[in-house]
Amino acid sequence: MKHVLEVADVVKRYGSKTALDQVDVHVKEGSCFGLLGPNGAGKSTLMKLMTGILQADSGMIRAFGMDTRHQMSEIRQRVGYVPQEITLYEKLSAVQNLKFFGEMYGVNGAELKQRIAHVLEQVGLSDRANEAVETYSGGMKRRINLAAALLHQPQLIILDEPTVGIDPQSRNHIFEMIRGLKKEGLTLVYSTHYMEEVEALCDDIAIIDHGSVIAQGSLHEILEQHADQAVYVESDYITEPPQLSSIKRASARGRGWVLESEQPLHTLRDLSQLFAEAGARVHALELVKPSLDRVFLKLTGTALRD
Amino acid sequence: MIRSIFIKETQLLLKDKGTYFWLFVLPILFIVMFSSIFGNAGTTTYTIRYFDADGTKESRQFMDTLAQIKGFELAADNEKSLADQIQAVRDGKQTSLLVIPQGYSQRLLGKGAAEVELHRDAAEDAAAAPVAAVLDSVTKQYQEHKLRVALKGTGQSQTGIDALLTAPIQVKDIKENVAKANPVTQIVPGYTVMFVFFIMITMIHNFLRDRDSGMVSRLKGTPLKAHQYLIGMWLPNMMVVLVQSTVLLTFGFIVYGLHLGDLFAVAAVIISLSICATGIGLMLSVLVNSVNTGVAIVQIIAMGGAIVGGLWFPYELLPKAVQWIGLFTPQYWAQRGMQDVMIRGAHLDGVWMTILILLAFGLAGLAVATASFNRFAAKAKN
Repeated sequence: MKHVLEVADVVKRYGSKTALDQVDVHVKEGSCFGLLGPNGAGKSTLMKLMTGILQADSGMIRAFGMDTRHQMSEIRQRVGYVPQEITLYEKLSAVQNLKFFGEMYGVNGAELKQRIAHVLEQVGLSDRANEAVETYSGGMKRRINLAAALLHQPQLIILDEPTVGIDPQSRNHIFEMIRGLKKEGLTLVYSTHYMEEVEALCDDIAIIDHGSVIAQGSLHEILEQHADQAVYVESDYITEPPQLSSIKRASARGRGWVLESEQPLHTLRDLSQLFAEAGARVHALELVKPSLDRVFLKLTGTALRD
Repeated sequence: MIRSIFIKETQLLLKDKGTYFWLFVLPILFIVMFSSIFGNAGTTTYTIRYFDADGTKESRQFMDTLAQIKGFELAADNEKSLADQIQAVRDGKQTSLLVIPQGYSQRLLGKGAAEVELHRDAAEDAAAAPVAAVLDSVTKQYQEHKLRVALKGTGQSQTGIDALLTAPIQVKDIKENVAKANPVTQIVPGYTVMFVFFIMITMIHNFLRDRDSGMVSRLKGTPLKAHQYLIGMWLPNMMVVLVQSTVLLTFGFIVYGLHLGDLFAVAAVIISLSICATGIGLMLSVLVNSVNTGVAIVQIIAMGGAIVGGLWFPYELLPKAVQWIGLFTPQYWAQRGMQDVMIRGAHLDGVWMTILILLAFGLAGLAVATASFNRFAAKAKN
């Protein structure tokens, strides 16, 4: 499949601090690409390099086959960027803000008016369009922040943590918008430190930590490659992890144990047999669904939200 | 895109109540306040406080002579004793006291010289000086009268006496521009020029707002060019200054009868002043790191320039060294340009130097702002 965005060997430093180190990322056309990592991992820096707001110290970024170092003007017309900060003029209404951002991308007149009406409908704020943004809730501001990046009908949308600190209603609106945009064939790059958002929205993922991509691929590929299979058991019979040859590692979770195993079905069978023979009462005995949280923990030794 | 930023910035300026206060309400308050205090300086009446201890026809005649002099009025406090009134002068409670002593009439009609006493507070010499001057003038009238009587006694004709008593040198007092020059022509343009420079605070606020909110970074991700952003942000402030100057001068014209002179020339001075103030404002906006620093620098420029540029006091009354420093301030040139047109009747050809100097200040500010913009943008919140 054709790549809309290619990031190759990109290095970015702030003084002596290396924010991104030899980063390689490839985003397929029409996909939603998730950048997952904790705060300060380098996600925002990478996004700003993609949009030309920052310049890389070395490496290459190509969007739509064009080099960002030389053809940024053409690229900007095709890219919509939603920054992490809510960058709106609070004293102006949503319509005034959207008009301003639309004109920044060269959209004017009746066409802009029509597009503003459309995006306001998409974000569910048509009824408050003429009220000052300062009267909006945080979630509503985030929705307008996103809408402002859609007015010039970009082919690639880069969203930097668009759901930080918002209410469930606004989060759902944003999720629905993203699904809708993807359905329309747009390519999206979505950064977050919420694993469940990536799992819900993204086709491909890059996990970033300390400025490096530590895993990349489809959700299935990453889980297949990095997530250990495990069994969860909860029983009054065991106060310590059971000693079975099939169990590689055990860790406590809640009132039970997560038992990592290369042969989870064998482990399940052995545990069933053990509890049956002992006549023990079992509260839970199940296969653990692999998660990005566990992948991140495995790869970095820390939890994603630490 | 310049138009879009211009419209957006104008909308924000119009919604900001602080703009109206700093640029319109406060200067009008200053103009009203100072015009009320100094606006009637040309028609001040001096009060001569007196004590007539003689109480004769001759002493009353002397006081009547004084009372007829324009600009002076007489005041006697009959309830207080002479000693109390002299003590009041010593205590600084009144600036002077004219005393006609007992025996004045006798001496005047006799051979000796009659005396009147002027008690005055040495610390308030300037305030008592006009009273001393008018007394001197009145005593000279008495002297002239005495000479006339003496000369007439020697058989001189009236024409001969007039010729003899005419001073060999006559000072012809011709007040140029008297019809136009008054405290209002100092106060209204002075405070207009001073408050024009406060637009720089608004500019600094708005630039740092964009820098620190992430707006500058976001706009870097759009096709907008740096020069378009700068021009779009600059022009609305220039427009505000033009409106501000027009409002303040119109206020002076309507309320205080300010003589505006050649409107075309005044407009040229105002336009160049607006380019000057907003050009320097643009430079400060991209150079300063915080609003507090910016406001402090603007206060120094606006207040310092107002003092040495002759906006608060007529430039001619300032010490020579201060006058010399004032020449390097845009405020001096702006005030001079306005007064050249309003008081001295200058037209465009008479204020070209002012216009050139103000434009030079403004263009230098714009050039520095343009050169420093990348540094400003690099500091923008990401």
